[in-house]
Amino acid sequence: MRSAAGVVALLLLFSVFQAGGQPVDPSTFVLLPVKNDPTISFRIWFKTGSHNDPAGKEGLAYITGQMLADASTRTHPYAQIIDKLYPLAAGYSASVSAEMTILSGRVHKDNLEAFYPLFRDAILLPAFTQEDLDRIKSQTLNYLENILRYSSDEELGKAVLYNDVFAGSGYGHVEAGTVAGVRSITLHDVRAFYVTHFTRDNVVPGIGGGYDEQLVTRLAADLGKLPSGLPIKVPLSVPVRINGFCVTIVDKDAPATAISMGFPIRVLRGERQWYALAIANSWLGEHRNSSSHLYQVIREARGLNYGDYSYIEHFPGGGMRNMPPQNVPRRVQLFEIWIRPVPLENGFFALRAALREFKMLVDQGLTEEQFQQTQTFLKKYVLHYAPTTMDRLGYALDDRFYGIEGSHLERFRKMMDEISRDEVNAAIKEHWHYGSMRIAIVTKNGAAFRDALLAGTPSPISYATPKPQSVLDADKEIAVFPVRVKEENIRVIPVTSVLER
Amino acid sequence: MRRWLLCALLIAGTPAMSKSIFPYTSYKEVLPNGLTVYLIPMESPGLVAYYSIVRTGSRDEYEPGKSGFAHFFEHMMFRGTRRHPGPVYDSLITGIGAEANAYTTDDYTAYHLKFATEDLETVMDLESDRFQNLSYEEREFQTEAGAVYGEYRKSITSPFALLNEKLQDVAYDVHTYKHTTIGFEADIKAMPGAYAYSKSFYERYYRPENVVIIIAGDFHMQGTLTLVRTYYSGWSKGYVPPRIPREPPQKNERTASVTYAGRTLPILDIAYKGEAFDPANRTYVAAILLGDLAFGETSELYKKLYIREQKVEFIQPSIPMNRDMPLFEIIAMVKREEDVPGIREEVYKAIATFQKNPIDAQKLADMKRRRKYEFLMHLDTPDKVAGGLARFVALTGGIDVVDRFYTTLARITPDDIQKAARQYFTPNRRTVVVLKGGGQ
Repeated sequence: MRSAAGVVALLLLFSVFQAGGQPVDPSTFVLLPVKNDPTISFRIWFKTGSHNDPAGKEGLAYITGQMLADASTRTHPYAQIIDKLYPLAAGYSASVSAEMTILSGRVHKDNLEAFYPLFRDAILLPAFTQEDLDRIKSQTLNYLENILRYSSDEELGKAVLYNDVFAGSGYGHVEAGTVAGVRSITLHDVRAFYVTHFTRDNVVPGIGGGYDEQLVTRLAADLGKLPSGLPIKVPLSVPVRINGFCVTIVDKDAPATAISMGFPIRVLRGERQWYALAIANSWLGEHRNSSSHLYQVIREARGLNYGDYSYIEHFPGGGMRNMPPQNVPRRVQLFEIWIRPVPLENGFFALRAALREFKMLVDQGLTEEQFQQTQTFLKKYVLHYAPTTMDRLGYALDDRFYGIEGSHLERFRKMMDEISRDEVNAAIKEHWHYGSMRIAIVTKNGAAFRDALLAGTPSPISYATPKPQSVLDADKEIAVFPVRVKEENIRVIPVTSVLER
Repeated sequence: MRRWLLCALLIAGTPAMSKSIFPYTSYKEVLPNGLTVYLIPMESPGLVAYYSIVRTGSRDEYEPGKSGFAHFFEHMMFRGTRRHPGPVYDSLITGIGAEANAYTTDDYTAYHLKFATEDLETVMDLESDRFQNLSYEEREFQTEAGAVYGEYRKSITSPFALLNEKLQDVAYDVHTYKHTTIGFEADIKAMPGAYAYSKSFYERYYRPENVVIIIAGDFHMQGTLTLVRTYYSGWSKGYVPPRIPREPPQKNERTASVTYAGRTLPILDIAYKGEAFDPANRTYVAAILLGDLAFGETSELYKKLYIREQKVEFIQPSIPMNRDMPLFEIIAMVKREEDVPGIREEVYKAIATFQKNPIDAQKLADMKRRRKYEFLMHLDTPDKVAGGLARFVALTGGIDVVDRFYTTLARITPDDIQKAARQYFTPNRRTVVVLKGGGQ
């Protein structure tokens, strides 16, 4: 039976246009005019995300986002929308992270008039048909049950880590939800979520590129037709402080061992200490970069895998991007080490090698040389973070989320001139700690890995080819490097149970 | 890797030509040793993209047991020279905050960097040095083989990796497109033993006649030309073309199935032997449009199978641009195994329709309009301009071909589309592979 709240939600939905509405205040817009840009970029931010999924309905924010961007509106069936967008070479999509739902689109100025009504109606007039919901749920389930579980063990390992680190909080499930959650989602759920969260008081519109002022006025008026009101703010429960290493081993018929590990951190971009920690992190594990120390130790010297990196912010889809993503901000962040798949026989060795390097950094901090080289590197490397107007608009929205005056990327470069090595090493001491960490391992014969961990079994490595003496000497230490895990802090689960609920 | 997103790029000749929809002027320099360099100044305050395109990819791996070697060699190019050993190369690149990477495809290997304008000479010094004087020990070579195997391991869990491996193996008899770019696992395993071969690979393929450099972004034209001449003129000629076997005409339909160890929905791949890239060949260019018209998101079949009946998770065409005869594919992920034969028939029916009836002129016009705007919207950074030109350069050695290609594309008629459907999409050119999940 439909709940009373749901009925109210429906009534609200269908009264939107009768209400007329108050325009959204243009001064709340994030604007990024670029005079010579022949295109216009939109990022419409609704302050909702997977963190707002009701218990048992994990995936609802994600599905709702897709039901706006990838489905019919009350003015056009989905197939017609595709036909109309096609000759424009334009499109729009929804990205849903823990805290943000972004409806983004990009169009050449010549095509704005044909594009804009389609994009507007996607936000204001979703049709919410059963046919579209069936299609989108099927895709989402295929992603969770088949693609994420089976087609990339490293992405699976990251998902397990994220879920573990934030278990019990709104961040405790991947954005696409859980299998049980997605299965249970109905049209009624989607409508109710939409009416509650997609309101004119809960939106921050962003426009960038070669637009004119009229577009701002027009968008403000249109978004003003959304219902008013703010959803009840869901408090973010603090992740449970862990003591020691907590290990989840996903057992599957894997050809290699994928490892991700980490813990929550309280420092956020914008804060001076964040930039200090960014220097330490870049030295330890700059994403997809051979300057990463972990990469040098595990891949470059030993040839164990394709890469090894670390992060101080949530970094989804690491295998598919070279630069940090935008619009995945969080109120509590995550420190993460990512070891790409290593041969099955070297899984424990690689885990020990990474932990040993991390411990040495936490204990000793950066040397002056390491500090200076990384600082110089980052000051210029950051220039590559946001090459396009769409990227810069994404950063500008994130700046709003974090309450950063000016620009994070400019501040980043400025901080590289200001921060001292002492500050970096102090930030390491304050925010990084060795010994209390969640570890996710995707491997074959998980029980054997568990037994080896519990027993502290040495994990010597041998190579088919000669290695320098310095590497062989370090290997002896790595092979017996202590990783003490209590029996109650380790679990082996079958892959079929991962992401289930 | 085999899939090439057609980003329309038109480019002026030497030095500048009008009547191009490409918004940037390009300058071409060919050194006496055969090295071709394109300079494309564009607004990008303080930033430059630098691409070195080697016209060698997995297509050139004709020797038995050497599949995957072009990709492996790409890794070795980061191991340094006597003047700039690997760690020194890394440290200099790190010092200038450059983003440096590389990738390998079937037809070419691209080395690309993004960096600040003031570091252009440093980059040119490093790049020209490693292309002329690469030097590594056997030990480093063997260690890198481990990293390549790691790359294989991280990728092979995808059902599409398995599907492509099977499809190419079945569809080709002798041509090197028989193997994927990453190569067969047995060959990857054997790579540590191929040190001597790797030296010969470098000697034969990393030569100026086989390399094109594209520099795009914010830089001083004359100064950059002087640098190019200074740093690259000493590079000796010596390219030895690979002996790639010619694929005999296919006579009959081929079919195969493959089982994926994990869980997946079934994937149906219907592939037809196509034709090598030729911008003057209207039928070939029409085939690229036909793929989208018949199986793209505005096609009737897409609407039927994906939107209305919801029998597939996706269906999409892939009509690539290659130096030799590629596969023109239609790929569908099917929700229920029992629907696979029916979907296959639907694809054949759609092809028959395009063979029988000329397409609607408006649809064709819509597609041409889309191509134009895709092109215009794609050119917003130096990296995208240089990267977007890479495949055209690999196919033909230059970028003027882009203009010819899009001129032909603009002239395609419904008759050309019909002709493409009749010429390429015939049963005797067809290979069908079905991948099924094994479950766990």
